[in-house]
Amino acid sequence: MGFKLFLSGIVFLFLSTVIQDQALAGKPTDSIRKTTDKIIGIVSDPDLKETDKRKEKDLLIRKAVDEIFDWREMSRRTLARHWRKRTEQEIKEFIDLFGKLLERTYLDKVEGYSGEEVLYKGEAVDGDYGVVKIMIITKKETEISVFYRMKKKGDDWFVYDISVGGVSLINNYRTQFNSIIVRSSFKKLMKKLKAKVEE
Amino acid sequence: MGNFSRILIIAVCCMTMFAVPCSSAEKSSPSGYHQEGEDFLIPDVALYEMMVEEYSQETTSIRISQSIVGPGKTLEPHDPDMMEPDSGPFLNEIEEMDLIADPFEIVNRFFFHFNDKLYFWFLKPIGTGYGKVVPEPLRVSVRNFFSNLAMPIRAVNCILQGKFKGFGIEITRFVVNSTVGVAGFGDPAKQVYNLDPQDEDLGQTLGSYGLGPAFYITWPVLGPSSLRDTIGMAGDTFLNPLTYGIENIGYNFAVRGYDQVNRTSLKIGDYESLKKSALDPYVSLRDAYHQYRKSKIKK
Repeated sequence: MGFKLFLSGIVFLFLSTVIQDQALAGKPTDSIRKTTDKIIGIVSDPDLKETDKRKEKDLLIRKAVDEIFDWREMSRRTLARHWRKRTEQEIKEFIDLFGKLLERTYLDKVEGYSGEEVLYKGEAVDGDYGVVKIMIITKKETEISVFYRMKKKGDDWFVYDISVGGVSLINNYRTQFNSIIVRSSFKKLMKKLKAKVEE
Repeated sequence: MGNFSRILIIAVCCMTMFAVPCSSAEKSSPSGYHQEGEDFLIPDVALYEMMVEEYSQETTSIRISQSIVGPGKTLEPHDPDMMEPDSGPFLNEIEEMDLIADPFEIVNRFFFHFNDKLYFWFLKPIGTGYGKVVPEPLRVSVRNFFSNLAMPIRAVNCILQGKFKGFGIEITRFVVNSTVGVAGFGDPAKQVYNLDPQDEDLGQTLGSYGLGPAFYITWPVLGPSSLRDTIGMAGDTFLNPLTYGIENIGYNFAVRGYDQVNRTSLKIGDYESLKKSALDPYVSLRDAYHQYRKSKIKK
């Protein structure tokens, strides 16, 4: 009897968290969920598993990611104070290269996907800014918390930063890029970026 | 039994030692900013004030580190522009210019390369070979066993930070996992009772008292750390039963080494992907370490 009560208590707790989760989910979470599901679909598609389909698969993922990543905003935040000193041409080149590097980093992570669990832990919105928190549980029983930081543009939300386990990707690149620009020059940074992307 | 009482005595000593700064730190901490949960949602004005405050702190700390470095070496300058006050109401924004001081960069870079080679030439091949022989679920169990054993570190640091609920969770986890979980190889406390391990250590405790990382250190073999976290690490070894359980130094090192290899076998690929995505892997790792520790302390 006591055990039954205990079990029903657990079921109730579980249900209430599920319901709460859904009630909390807003637009930012929706768009992250949509893209995540799309990417998981692409990665686990048996038709795209063969090695000769690799290019096609990458292209599909890229398209899905492009829809919600704000490359310009990411670039602006990464260059920070160095952004204003750049010409429009330099900015264009930078966004192109940096976007490619981010994409590759992202593809690398996503391609290793093998049925990891993705949990949506809620979101917080303040005006035009929002955070979507998700938790990835790997096969090795490690939990990775991922925060998508998003900004509203019109009616849609776009990602401008991803934090993995408390480490912001944009902050990390900002520190690296700043160190390179300060020690040598923006030109050197572009050279290094180009080499990295072509690697 | 003798070992256990020694641990207990040390725990009590530590607690009394830290009791005074703990309570005073609680009083002096600014209210509101780091409340649990929604700490990244703070109003614009408060944020801006914090930015200004942080900036002035940052510049003083840089000045201090410059005096350590000496005049010949250039440090990355800080610019208030970098904070971009218009860029959004999230705490993340102000942390974007927070760098860890690195006065010993030359030495650190040397050991970074040393550790890099150590990983690729020894740890990785050993970890990969071991991983081929021992199936993954078993390696996860071994990791659980060692982490269960290190319970006193987490439990005592929960207390030192005034996290009594966390302390209770750690004790419960230990009891459940040591019995139902068969000496800690399983983790039923998490899987059945949803009790997450409280990842606390002395470095975080010192950080929660308001002590900054001081400067970055790359230790050979042990990897990235800071002055604060090194002190913490040294203190934590007194709380680790492994220190007392195996008195023969050779065996002790062998067991620790095994723990390390086992952990490595479960983490192969992490360092490679950091290296692959970075333009300057040293700076990337330094920043990742700094951000990671800061987020841990905030929790």
